[in-house]
Amino acid sequence: MSHTLTKKKEEGNAFWVLCLPAVVIYLFVMAFPTLVSVWLSLTNYTSGQLFAPGTKMDLVGFKHYLKMFGDEYFWMALQNNLSIVAISVLGQIPLGFVLAYVLYRKLVVWTGFWQTILYIPVIISTIVVGILWQTIFSPLAGPVTALVRMFIPGWENTLMNDPNVAMVPVLFVTLWMYTGTYLIIFLANLQRIEPSILEAARIDGANEFQTLGRIILPALSGVIVTTAILAISGSLKAFDLIFSMTSGGPAHRTSVLALYMYDNAFRGAPDYGLANAVSTFMVALSFGLIAVTQWVERKFGGKED
Amino acid sequence: MSKTTALVLGKALLYLVLFIFAVMTLYPLLWLLMNSFKSTLEFQTNAMGLPQAFTLANYAGAWQVGAFDKLFLNSLIYTVGSTAVVVLLAMMASFAFAKLKNRFSNALYNSFIVGILLTLQSIMIPLFIVMNTVGLYNTHLGVLIPYIGIGLPMGVYLGTGFIKSVPDALIESARLEGADFLQVFWKIILPMTGPVAITLSILNVSGVWNEFMLVNILTSDIDVKSLPVGIMKFSGTLASDYGKQFAALVIGAVPMIVYYFVFRKKITEGVSAGAVKG
Repeated sequence: MSHTLTKKKEEGNAFWVLCLPAVVIYLFVMAFPTLVSVWLSLTNYTSGQLFAPGTKMDLVGFKHYLKMFGDEYFWMALQNNLSIVAISVLGQIPLGFVLAYVLYRKLVVWTGFWQTILYIPVIISTIVVGILWQTIFSPLAGPVTALVRMFIPGWENTLMNDPNVAMVPVLFVTLWMYTGTYLIIFLANLQRIEPSILEAARIDGANEFQTLGRIILPALSGVIVTTAILAISGSLKAFDLIFSMTSGGPAHRTSVLALYMYDNAFRGAPDYGLANAVSTFMVALSFGLIAVTQWVERKFGGKED
Repeated sequence: MSKTTALVLGKALLYLVLFIFAVMTLYPLLWLLMNSFKSTLEFQTNAMGLPQAFTLANYAGAWQVGAFDKLFLNSLIYTVGSTAVVVLLAMMASFAFAKLKNRFSNALYNSFIVGILLTLQSIMIPLFIVMNTVGLYNTHLGVLIPYIGIGLPMGVYLGTGFIKSVPDALIESARLEGADFLQVFWKIILPMTGPVAITLSILNVSGVWNEFMLVNILTSDIDVKSLPVGIMKFSGTLASDYGKQFAALVIGAVPMIVYYFVFRKKITEGVSAGAVKG
């Protein structure tokens, strides 16, 4: 009896020795800041170390949230996040799917070659991509001006400084950069479809469009929903590209939530209360998406496995 | 139109579309490479053609102005350091979650899964304030610890799945021979996790090497900055010196392109497994 007790105790100790280092670091880096953010968004904290004697931290209620919801730049940023979701859902997902389908069905030769090339933009540092395209679109140096002038002589390149169209280059580069991700996801899931099912359809005389509509699309319904969710969380992650390409300009017209938060904390006089309110708002959206993802996984049944 | 003509036309259209996509993908990168060999002066009059006076001066200049030797060293420290620690700690925790009985096991495992899906961008400000509070702002450790914390969720997810498939009998027979659980981990489990450790390392390396947002707000000195943060300088203060900017961008892009060509299969496998989860 005492022998099994020591065994039990040893297992208990080993459990904590093995998992505590990971748990402590993880909670310190991800869970703790999340809680701090909720708390700071409700106080008048302006600067200095947390918990230090002289640091001002009195509760002020929902003041920062009211300020956030009353700020036109917040809504402008949120609208741009939605534009990024739209370009993903209407652009990257269909394009990624079509390209993956063409490669999967081996409708062309050299499938490995095309796949390798189309994925290259995804692996390059976003900062490199952002600066490169900033220069490509720039009216003074970039080739876009010369290219468009071949078709429209005397065209004025105001893409990067006209507030009404400033999002167009950003959305274009988003499309350029991330279509490869969706291509890979769709391709991996297409390759999980039993080849015998497709073979049977072919023997039954189904043509390419019937195979696509009756077998492949239904088999991928879960993945299509998951990629749509991925598009939303991807737009919440948008920061590096816009930071390096436009910095949110002109006049905040290309800002997104993450950049709006950054600007309030680091550009000009820091407003940590507002920045933490934005942070909490984004965490809430993020948790909402996690809930939806899990609901989808239950509904469509574990998409990839 | 006969059926064969339609088929041929369809094929031709497919190739045309793929070709356009490939050109759209590669041309900007080739344009960048080509212009990195021109002086800024030549670029301003000849932005589209091949270099007339081929020069490597941009590379020497960018390397020096950008302090790329320091940036490379720091990027290496962050990438190798965080990946090694993530793999070890994640496998330790995964063994605990997969094989050891504890009533907190499920709750802790699930908290890591939430971490895969949590948008990191949303906590950058509080993380900055926390790192400042504990005095780790602008230090190597202050960048490494967040990178480790961010890498762990995916590691625990992949590791736990993998270690669950290890037969219990293997662990029990070692236990009967008198090994304690830590010895079982070191001598039996860790050596077996090779494949999943490689996938995890490959994902972590590309993530950390390209990471910009966090290291940008957690550091201020060139001595602790990484490659992407250093390259940002060529967009701001040095933006009009295009020659150097292009060279800096090439220097920034090449390591990952090489890495991609070496580990292409593993990277795409890892992405398709990880992306749907995260």
